[in-house]
Amino acid sequence: MNHTVLVCDDAIFMRTLISDILSGSGYEVVGHAETGAQAVERFQQLRPDLVTMDIVMPDMGGIDAVKEITKIDPDARILMCSAMGQQALVVEAIQAGAKDFVVKPFQPARVLEAVARVLA
Amino acid sequence: MDLARYADLFLTESREHLAVMNRHLLVLERSPGARESLDATFRAVHTIKGMSATMGYEAVTALAHEMETVLDALRAGRLAVTASRIAVCLDVADALEGMVEGAVHGDDLARVSAPLVERLRSMAGDGEHADSPAPATAGGAAAAPLAPAAGASVPRARHVRVDIGRLDALTDLVGELIIARGRLMQEAALSNNPPLLEAAEHTTRLLDDLQHAVLQARMVPVSHIFDRFPRMVRDAARSLGKDVAFDMDGDDIEIDRSLLDELGDPIVHLLRNALDHGLEPAAERVTAGKPAEGHVTLCATRERSAVVVRVSDDGRGMDRAAIARRASELGMPRRGRGALGDTELLEIIARPGFSTATQVTEVSGRGVGIDAVLHRVRALGGTVEIASREGQGTTVTLRLPLTLAIVRALITRVRDEVYAIPLTHVSEALETDRSELRRTRGGEIMLHQGRRMPVLRLRELVHLPREAHDTEQVVMLEIGERRAGLIVDELTSQQDIVVKRFDAARDGGALFSGATILADGAPALIVDVGGLMRGQHHG
Repeated sequence: MNHTVLVCDDAIFMRTLISDILSGSGYEVVGHAETGAQAVERFQQLRPDLVTMDIVMPDMGGIDAVKEITKIDPDARILMCSAMGQQALVVEAIQAGAKDFVVKPFQPARVLEAVARVLA
Repeated sequence: MDLARYADLFLTESREHLAVMNRHLLVLERSPGARESLDATFRAVHTIKGMSATMGYEAVTALAHEMETVLDALRAGRLAVTASRIAVCLDVADALEGMVEGAVHGDDLARVSAPLVERLRSMAGDGEHADSPAPATAGGAAAAPLAPAAGASVPRARHVRVDIGRLDALTDLVGELIIARGRLMQEAALSNNPPLLEAAEHTTRLLDDLQHAVLQARMVPVSHIFDRFPRMVRDAARSLGKDVAFDMDGDDIEIDRSLLDELGDPIVHLLRNALDHGLEPAAERVTAGKPAEGHVTLCATRERSAVVVRVSDDGRGMDRAAIARRASELGMPRRGRGALGDTELLEIIARPGFSTATQVTEVSGRGVGIDAVLHRVRALGGTVEIASREGQGTTVTLRLPLTLAIVRALITRVRDEVYAIPLTHVSEALETDRSELRRTRGGEIMLHQGRRMPVLRLRELVHLPREAHDTEQVVMLEIGERRAGLIVDELTSQQDIVVKRFDAARDGGALFSGATILADGAPALIVDVGGLMRGQHHG
């Protein structure tokens, strides 16, 4: 069975792009979230194999969402998607329980590599 | 991967984030401590940076990055939020707006952004020295406080983006289906075949639901275009050196996408007129006993199956005497000798010849572009009304149908011809006794619910000989406050009609706004109720 993914980003552009990259390689994108709070809620409902998480989102940021999600499931596999210049935040996210990260602008190959690593 | 196919999405979403940025920067300009606005601005520019980096638009990315750095310093308190800093951010927002468009078309943009990058860098550098926060009103009198836009954070539902062309195709197909349904229903009714009739009725109900769903899918909130107005008003007020408070209301009202796109320019015209010609300079206002700060309001409301947009100012109002004088100088015909009524006022200032008489528009307070507004709104099947009180201000009201494509209409007959009257403007249809009708010097009137109402005969309007009956079929028309009765030979039915619009005539003498094919395949003309009411003279 294909791995299921929840894509969290406040930009439709980014969600579309990430979803296209992933579904093009056989992953099943089961949901989108555009705020941190929504990400937690959708995670609870969908229990995806993987979450891709933007850091800067309205409502609740990505890092707080990681903390909430790992409370629900300590083994949740979360891949942070950050923009350049956010190294400190990425470190914080990893400490909070995220498994790996990719930096925008995305290279599809890099994204797929990171996804494979996190799911391994 | 081929990024080009994401360009549209990039552009649409960047524009949205730029609108959000503008809105929040204006809030910050007024209330420097507005933390939420600072965060929202930061998120917007951050998102634009991420998207443009992904698209490979380096100049956009670099400029957004520098702005983000400054906003970060503002958020962390390393820099104070000052009017001059917000002004730079607004300039950057402007530049980004042009740059995202340019980037998509492959323009080289580093040229545009280089000076701004420098300004942002030196500003960020300020944060490293001790920064003495200047008061936020450093801009002086020109820094007119503006009302914060409503709905600072708009929760977005899950949605997909669909090209408007596809929605149009869908709407057209539903229109054709509705016509086909009419024929099916007629045949079924004649067939004496109950199962067939039942199936046809079931189809009818489903089609109603389908039509509703398709039209619903075309509806977008007017905030799509309203969002950019606070910024525009602020800039215009500033360049005119006027203090203006701007309020918007009802930006969650929904309207058909294709109508909305057409509505932007007329509203811009009206806002500019209000700012430029409507509002007096501060000194003049104070002398007249008004607050120095002028007030302009834009609001949208729903009224039956119409969307009403109003632009009001509390300025000087129009100088009716000067307008009447100028009209007679230009040899324009007047309806009477008395003071100008609002309707006639609008008619006069809407003449293309009148509006170019700049010398008068300065006196009269209005005129430039109002004919363009009128033309555009009428072409959309809407109406324009003006209400002006000297010394107190002017309100222009636009009334537009919710959708262009399919309207419910009353089908009427005069001799062998069939005419459709959109129900948007019909308040009721009734039979009236001949004795209720009177001829007066100003035209025919009827008594209805104790009121005297002007009456028109469709027969005479289409140049057929008059025919009097003991009881007459009257369709009561209503636009805003104005009412009139329209006499037809026969009321046939109500139907959903698919509108094929004519180009609206400029002089307002048009009787019909479009044509349609009825359920039985016969063509019918669509009565332009707005045009009819305009053409009708008050005694």
